Amino acid sequence: MKRALLTGNKAAAWGARLANVDYVPAFPITPQTEIIETIANWIDQDEMDCRMVTLESEHSMLTAAGAAAATGVRVFSATSSQGLLYAMEMLYTVAGWRAPFVLVNVSRGLAAPITLGPDHNDVLAARDSGFLQIHCSTCQEVLDSTLIAYRLAEDERVRLPVIVNMDGFYLSFTREPVQIPDTKIVNQFVGEFDPENIRFSASAPVSQAVAVLGGTPYSYFRYETHLAALNGLAVYDKITEEFANTFGRRHDAVEAYRTEDAELVFVMMGSFATKAIDAVDGLREAGWAVGVLRPRLLRPFPADHFRRALAGKRGVAVIDQNLSMGKGGVLHTELASALYASTECSPVLVSFIGGLGGRDISLEEFYEMASVARKAIEEGCAPPPRLLYTREELREVRKLQAIANVEREELGQKK
Amino acid sequence: MYRIRYHGRGGQGMKTASRILGTAFFLEGFEVQDAPRYGAERRGAPIFAYVRASRKPINERGIIRRPDLVVVADDTLVSIPAAGVLSGLKEWTILLISTTETPDVWKKRLNFAGQVLKLPEVAEVEDLLALRFVGSACTGAAARLVGVISRDSLEEAVREELTYLGEGVIQKNLDKALEAYDLMGDHAAAVREAGEIPADGYEKPEWVELPFEEARISAPAIHGAATSVEVKTGLWRTMRPVIDYGPCNRCWWVCSTFCPDSAISVDEQGTPHIDYEHCKGCMICVAQCPSHAIQTIPEHQAEIAGGQS
Amino acid sequence: MCAGCGGLEAIHQIYDILGEKTVFINAAGCMTMLSVYPFTPFRGSWLYTAMASAPAGAQGVRDGLDVLLHKQRIESEEDLQVVVLTGDGSAYGMGLSATSSAIERGLDFLYICYDNEGYGNTGQQYSAATPHGARTATSKGPGGFPGYKKDLFAIWAAHRPAYVATVVGAEPLDLARKIEKAKSLKGPRLIMALSPCPTGWHYDPGESVEIGKLAVRTGCWPLKEYVDGKVVHTKVPHQRLPVEEYLKRQGRFSHMFQPERNEVLLQEIQAKVDGYWEGVI
Repeated sequence: MKRALLTGNKAAAWGARLANVDYVPAFPITPQTEIIETIANWIDQDEMDCRMVTLESEHSMLTAAGAAAATGVRVFSATSSQGLLYAMEMLYTVAGWRAPFVLVNVSRGLAAPITLGPDHNDVLAARDSGFLQIHCSTCQEVLDSTLIAYRLAEDERVRLPVIVNMDGFYLSFTREPVQIPDTKIVNQFVGEFDPENIRFSASAPVSQAVAVLGGTPYSYFRYETHLAALNGLAVYDKITEEFANTFGRRHDAVEAYRTEDAELVFVMMGSFATKAIDAVDGLREAGWAVGVLRPRLLRPFPADHFRRALAGKRGVAVIDQNLSMGKGGVLHTELASALYASTECSPVLVSFIGGLGGRDISLEEFYEMASVARKAIEEGCAPPPRLLYTREELREVRKLQAIANVEREELGQKK
Repeated sequence: MYRIRYHGRGGQGMKTASRILGTAFFLEGFEVQDAPRYGAERRGAPIFAYVRASRKPINERGIIRRPDLVVVADDTLVSIPAAGVLSGLKEWTILLISTTETPDVWKKRLNFAGQVLKLPEVAEVEDLLALRFVGSACTGAAARLVGVISRDSLEEAVREELTYLGEGVIQKNLDKALEAYDLMGDHAAAVREAGEIPADGYEKPEWVELPFEEARISAPAIHGAATSVEVKTGLWRTMRPVIDYGPCNRCWWVCSTFCPDSAISVDEQGTPHIDYEHCKGCMICVAQCPSHAIQTIPEHQAEIAGGQS
Repeated sequence: MCAGCGGLEAIHQIYDILGEKTVFINAAGCMTMLSVYPFTPFRGSWLYTAMASAPAGAQGVRDGLDVLLHKQRIESEEDLQVVVLTGDGSAYGMGLSATSSAIERGLDFLYICYDNEGYGNTGQQYSAATPHGARTATSKGPGGFPGYKKDLFAIWAAHRPAYVATVVGAEPLDLARKIEKAKSLKGPRLIMALSPCPTGWHYDPGESVEIGKLAVRTGCWPLKEYVDGKVVHTKVPHQRLPVEEYLKRQGRFSHMFQPERNEVLLQEIQAKVDGYWEGVI
């Protein structure tokens, strides 16, 4: 085992390498490109026995990924935002093929307007597709999750593709210390891919992904996919238990930090959750009973984990780095549905939207969110959802609008 | 609510026929819902269409499970389970069939408690797909059977639905429809509207918990070769090609090569054999045989002569 | 498929030559209905992908098989020929990007396009393959389709693949020779099969072969191949029949003859065909 400073992208590449992947269909997109460049270099240097092919679009890339997995090889691919959405038809399609593989998504805000900074709208758009989702908050987690993801995807109780998500820039281009585990031990942990009877070979003709006419058979196939996804909960817990015993690092389905005696809990996904950990330490020093819950698994949704962790808690500040237009934060919505009508578990849920397109969330904002949530607990009801956005920021946008000749009559901005 | 189901083959005009009836009801002031349903959507393949008509807005949707009237434009469909002609038939259902046989024969054959009526004046034709106006005749009869559609409304409906056709064709359809309407006089208003299923006396749906099954089983994959041999596309046929082995030259390749459906095989002696379970009756082999050794006969004649089917 | 399907006829002939050590990768179109759960007509294998990306699916399967062979996880007898099967809708339009890139990557695959000159499965709306003047569900005006058939053969050939050929089921010997040739080569090999369509072109199913022959004899469907950097015509109709011999047999061109002859359109079409063959001979 060696400990090195790695970017999240490099950590993902290491995950693929250690998993001995056979095939990498690729297409470049910011901020993921370093992953495929790293793998391409290793292949050129004969450090990886793997075939990489650049397709002409992400839609084709996902088709090739699923088709190769359906042929019987271990597949790795990576994309982001616009690319993930361009492939969206095929995400649903290949999940329905029950072709297992791992797709690393480097989260980036979606157009329009087009941008480069991270948020979670891209990966959340895939939540209904049949892909499982693991969300990382450190570069170490990215490497570890890729290995876990192969076990999860290929498990016969699941057999679905898995997305491993990391935030663009904050993880993808940021170096952190990462333990690169020993190849032999990883080989034992990940094992070999057994395609079972979903493969192509001359001696066993098979027609895969055929059309289905009629609601009765279609419902069967779709619901079985859902049941397989749900199995992911128990299978993930088993795999991560084994991972912890083998590698000494625990990656629970929902990470809990100082929640045991907390009254108020922050809930958020991704790399900014480490900022919440610092905020909790600060708040604890000031006498607050506060903690953080960070779901790593988003699909399948770890409802039971949440209900257990939030039993008896009085308030939850859900911080969504995403926005469902016309509804609000996705994590908030999903959590609310999981907690609804539970008698042991009925905290006030307060919704905050922050970090869109990579916008920072400051320590002070965490403290203020705690205040707002505490007030909600005392009053027994939540205020309307809040977009984290300051007066200073609005002033900044007004200046930009002035330059863009946007007609404005307030604030003396008229040109 | 009137619930009417049409059965026919692609190409026999079932969609239009159901629309004519739907429009006729509409002109009489009814709320209407009509739609065709295609299986394979191919010429000759079984299709069905349905019409709902009610004095109140219609909320019911989808397939008609309990028809009041079943109209069968092609009696060869009755023996094809996939065509679903007999699905949901109740004692009050009236079965109207376009057939050259008598209603009693059908009642006995189907062991059916309800009433069977025959479409009047059905011509003897070789190719049932050549019965261009059977749809209009069916609808004319159906309109009289429901008893709430006037002759004028029927005419207006025919004209409205066929407005895109030439006047000559419209007139032929109209003649057939009105003729059938008139000839059904003895059975006017024979169709009864069935009541609704009561909430305090319904047959319980047998819901099950779908068990998880591994992808080996539950992926949409067909393990094995050529399972489609089970699909009897030969049932689409109304005419069949028959090889006369006298003039057949044993050229060994023409008919079998040109058959799109690989339904003609050639044995070691060079003799071609037609697989009637899969021949769709396209007649390319008839057109292409250099010695004109393949004839066309109506399907029902082949059945009578004890041919394979 | 519909009775008398010219596409199925070509595929039937092609499949008999290629055999069952094949995996057909399909894009959305009429032939998608060949395999509907639980029925498949193939003695070999099949994978349905999506309308735009069958060549990318072929890439994945070919690469997958290559890796399995290279890493000796399967025996060489388990290898399969990878064959893409699409209609003209995908080949001429939505799938063109994926096809272009597959050729450019030198993918070892066979591409079969059954060309019925329209979006057949959805009811024969016009596609990039629809010929000038044809009536389709979306071109019902007096002059039929105002556009012109895209020259996909030239587009494919411009990529300099291993092989390109046009075929038609009505000329089985020419087709067989070309498929045998394609089978013997490696790299991207593309076949375009004119697929007379009784349902979409409006004629009696029994005439499919006759119409296919007329397409060749009138010069409307040139039988040619691209190989070793050159285009060679495998059949040059010497006593070329007037195009209307082909057009008048199909209901989709009936507006050129009824209620009166559209001489302008007929002559335009004839001139184009004449011009093509002048360039050849």
